[in-house]
Amino acid sequence: MNSIFRALLLGSLSTVVGCASMRGGTKPTPPPPASLVDNCDDTQKAVSKEADALASPYGIDQHVEKNFADRKVSWLMTDSAYQKFVVQTGAKNFGRCNDVACYLFAAPAGTIQGAVEKAKTPDGKHDPAVLGQALGLPAKNFEGPLRMMTLDLAAQKVCTRLPVDADPGVWKCTTPEDKDCFKFGGYTSGGVPEVMVINAPVADTQVAEIP
Amino acid sequence: MSDEEVVLQSPLLYRVLRGRDGALSIEVLVGGIVQFEVRVLLNDEETASFAKEGRAFADRMAQAIMADPPFDGRSVRWPVL
Repeated sequence: MNSIFRALLLGSLSTVVGCASMRGGTKPTPPPPASLVDNCDDTQKAVSKEADALASPYGIDQHVEKNFADRKVSWLMTDSAYQKFVVQTGAKNFGRCNDVACYLFAAPAGTIQGAVEKAKTPDGKHDPAVLGQALGLPAKNFEGPLRMMTLDLAAQKVCTRLPVDADPGVWKCTTPEDKDCFKFGGYTSGGVPEVMVINAPVADTQVAEIP
Repeated sequence: MSDEEVVLQSPLLYRVLRGRDGALSIEVLVGGIVQFEVRVLLNDEETASFAKEGRAFADRMAQAIMADPPFDGRSVRWPVL
């Protein structure tokens, strides 16, 4: 009987002490969010390392924290291109593919979705001029029906890095005044944050029609 | 229904097409966070190079168009709206 009482008393004391130490102590700091570069293969990790060195002291991790805090990206393409290059071909990944990978430029989902929302017209379509102004690109790029894609990079563990000059599809700016072309550093010539997404899976991407 | 034949469809996101008149054109997806198509009609020299080299030539031409979509004023936005 005595031993049972002692065991109960010790158990109660340890619970009290444990609670007190939690109350008075420091909260454990959460681990830093995983780098999206961790999702890359060795080839893309090497490209990312070079890009970060070129952008130093900036880098992909700071860029993601600053501009892609929710890790969600979006991009736009004409509906005709979506049909021809994604649907009809049964593409597994978005982007331009070579023997190594598929390469896709993407912007913060909130930025693209906000611009699309702002450009909606009363007849349910979109105003290319408003969309162009919101994204710092020529209005002609947004003419006709579009598709808006959205992908959660963290949930799908997708490799992401800063875009570089050698990436497929890069149209390099030749003067500081040039618009609608590529400038190294993580921002479009119109000032919108951008990243290079490697092997963005079609199956895990939300696709919305923009009439 | 299209009168064009798709001669080559590339994962680099371009297509080579032959029109009803036999002329070849290349349709290339250009742009970054916003992507759209442009088309360039191949001239005689490019048509001959494509006949000789096939995909290797088309890859080079598509990459040149992606790197400079106006392509010396030869490209047109596609489809024409």
